[in-house]
Amino acid sequence: MSIELEEIAEFLKQHHPFDLLPDDVIESLPKRLTARYFRAGTKVLSPEQQCLHLYIIRTGGTETRDPNGQLLARLSEGECFGVRAMFRKGRAANNITTLEDSLCYLLPEKDFHDLAGKYPQFNYFFAQMGGDRLRRGMQMIESRDDDQLKLMSVKVADLIARDLVSIDRSATILDAGKLMCDERVSCLLITQDGDEIAGIITDRDLRNRVIAQARSFDEPVTAIMTDKPISIHPDDYAFDALLTMTRNNIRHLPVLKDGKAVGMITTNNLLARQSLSAVYMAGKISKLNDPADMAKVIAQVPELLSHLIEAGATSQNAGHIVTTLSDAATVRLLQLAEKKLGPPPVPYVWMAGGSQGRQEQTAISDQDNCLILDDAYVEEAHGAYFKALAEFVCDGLNDVGYVFCPGDMMAKTAEWRQPAKVWQNYFNKWIEQPEPKALMLCSVWFDLRPIHGTKSLFDDLHRIIVSRAKDNRIFQAYLVGNAMTHHVPLGFFKNFVMIRGGEHDSTLDLKHNGVVPIVDLARIHALANGVDEVNTFDRLRAVKAFPSISTQGASDLLDAFEFISITRLKHQVRQIRQGHAPDNFLHPESLSAFERTHLKDAFSVIKNLQSALETAFGKSGT
Amino acid sequence: MGLRQKITDSQFYRDLVQRRATGALRTYYDVPAADPTRPIMDTEFIALDLETTGLDPKRDEIVSLGWVIIRQLGVDFSSCEHILVRPTKELTESSVVVHRIFDSDVANAPNIKAALELLLPQMAGRVLISHHAPIELGFLGHACKRCFGAPLQIPTVDTLVLGLRDLHRQGQPFKSGALKLDNLRRSHNLPPFRAHNALSDAIAASGLFLAQVSKRDPKGVLELRRVLR
Repeated sequence: MSIELEEIAEFLKQHHPFDLLPDDVIESLPKRLTARYFRAGTKVLSPEQQCLHLYIIRTGGTETRDPNGQLLARLSEGECFGVRAMFRKGRAANNITTLEDSLCYLLPEKDFHDLAGKYPQFNYFFAQMGGDRLRRGMQMIESRDDDQLKLMSVKVADLIARDLVSIDRSATILDAGKLMCDERVSCLLITQDGDEIAGIITDRDLRNRVIAQARSFDEPVTAIMTDKPISIHPDDYAFDALLTMTRNNIRHLPVLKDGKAVGMITTNNLLARQSLSAVYMAGKISKLNDPADMAKVIAQVPELLSHLIEAGATSQNAGHIVTTLSDAATVRLLQLAEKKLGPPPVPYVWMAGGSQGRQEQTAISDQDNCLILDDAYVEEAHGAYFKALAEFVCDGLNDVGYVFCPGDMMAKTAEWRQPAKVWQNYFNKWIEQPEPKALMLCSVWFDLRPIHGTKSLFDDLHRIIVSRAKDNRIFQAYLVGNAMTHHVPLGFFKNFVMIRGGEHDSTLDLKHNGVVPIVDLARIHALANGVDEVNTFDRLRAVKAFPSISTQGASDLLDAFEFISITRLKHQVRQIRQGHAPDNFLHPESLSAFERTHLKDAFSVIKNLQSALETAFGKSGT
Repeated sequence: MGLRQKITDSQFYRDLVQRRATGALRTYYDVPAADPTRPIMDTEFIALDLETTGLDPKRDEIVSLGWVIIRQLGVDFSSCEHILVRPTKELTESSVVVHRIFDSDVANAPNIKAALELLLPQMAGRVLISHHAPIELGFLGHACKRCFGAPLQIPTVDTLVLGLRDLHRQGQPFKSGALKLDNLRRSHNLPPFRAHNALSDAIAASGLFLAQVSKRDPKGVLELRRVLR
């Protein structure tokens, strides 16, 4: 490759998402590009104009405005435009005008889709950025009767929550750390000559650039700061802020007016406005006395979920927030039960399993829960109390909207309402003498999270689960065998294999064929490596460091999980909006061709990692 | 230069030399030259740079060629070519120092005739872009005469001349070095480029040309003759 083409490849490697592509692919890209030059003020694209290339800005900058002239984004070196045209059969959606003289590299539509088809992370970046986030933004403008947060209409200035915390560039790292601690902030602006911004440091910098490098705290703070941070203007819209942060993968964004810092916004600011209503709902639940009233609040969960998804929450965010509400309902029901039945005769802890345990609930969730009792428990003396307690709470949850678990994995079943030593025996048996059938049923118990009561009761049990499961290869092999029973719906030629006949004819079951296999994979890798997280995202992030799965494999699974989960959530939101009951059965035709491609990729990621798992842990059931 | 260039650029001269041309050059002349009255947008260009053993076309030889095609004012990177040429004489030390092309590099390279047989079909019907074109035209002309019995005529854009005209139009005194490829590129907000081989310079000139045209022709209607040398 010539020096000049190498330079183009170098340039691409430095910019997201091209940096996610394998080196040999990046090196093959320059040959497919065309360079075009636009002087400042040139209208490069206008709505509905044919656009058969993805434009990558090499030098210069552009502005994106919607057909009504509303500013959507300002792009600079290394960023791409024409993204939406790639998802609209080559028709541009917005106005793109150069702000400076700009040199652009043009990637043909076909090559773009080839890359997007082959590399899920590459795909995901653009699906997020062009396909979805913008589309969501547009939807939000359109839904007028919606008084929730409108990222498109809220100004950055309105989001600034507190006075800015800054320190002069002459300060040491220690000074900066102390100030951050005193002010309880996660990032600090470094200023010079009064208000002028010199840089920024975050918690992450203190970890990565100070502790990890064993740097002296007496060094100047300038040694670890990020120079000239990306910033935003107070008059920009919250939506721009979200776009900027997502695009640059940053969580703190200084707000600058006339070159002076006036505030700081964080991803938390943006999401807090959404979660507010969830916090309010949880607060309301904790004051109610009647499951019927709680049901009215929980009935708003689908609506909440729609708002969260439209505001750009990830599926992990959404899962956390939605689960917070079932936690609140559970806790409240337990309080009411104790009020009615009197204080518990022996300590207990109420545990959530399954999706509530993993904090991955969606618009529809049933209940999986159990009771761990203190070893002082005597059935004859205390059995009736806990039976009544469990029935009160499980029936209450059912009334509130969390329907009974079809497998009876609930505290109201005597088997799952036992003292800690019995639970220890259960787990010993499952781990030491695994039986495939029993394991399949009890996988929900490997995702336990304490909700209410004496949480230390769970500690010993938890230690046993984590340490025993880690050392037992036979148990792991059985789990693998179980995981393999969930096939991804892909045929030999990477076509979708859909459900045939019945109520859900020609659909894909996103839960059992998409979400569950990944949850299973994450659980196995977590248990095999002694990772004690239960949330699937947390598990996958934690297992990256272990040899049982490649870092790339774990990252791919994270992407696939997010994509399938968000596709499932969006499907449910669509059903809710249309007045239907949400489910997990998706008609692939309801997706764009691009989303379909991506979904197939996500499924093949699962397939590949299932095979890798079999290789790593050995075939099971033999 | 003025009168002589007018003659050598004329159709009359082209007709005259064409009859003497043989081989690949004859085939080249069979394709009509680019029409100077057509819009630049509809004209195809070939940005070319070459490296030589010295500065005298009569005595020195071409050691490498690099080119890229421009269509509809877009630089098509898939058309990039870079070829080494085996000179008839051993490389001098000074040439090796400049280009870092060694005898061993060119030992198996095509000779100039074979190289021209690759290049000439790419030039047919297109317009040459070069930064300081007399060098390219001088060496290619001499090589064509030696290999195919006639000189080379091709409509040419010299990005250095366009840059000079721009500076004159601005009416400001300009610093020495202002007409260097890299400096002109910088003045158009083009990225710095890492020299040097013939292809990287050809691509650098192609980018500069796009910028120079976009300044003159925001609507895409300007005729080719307005930028010819």
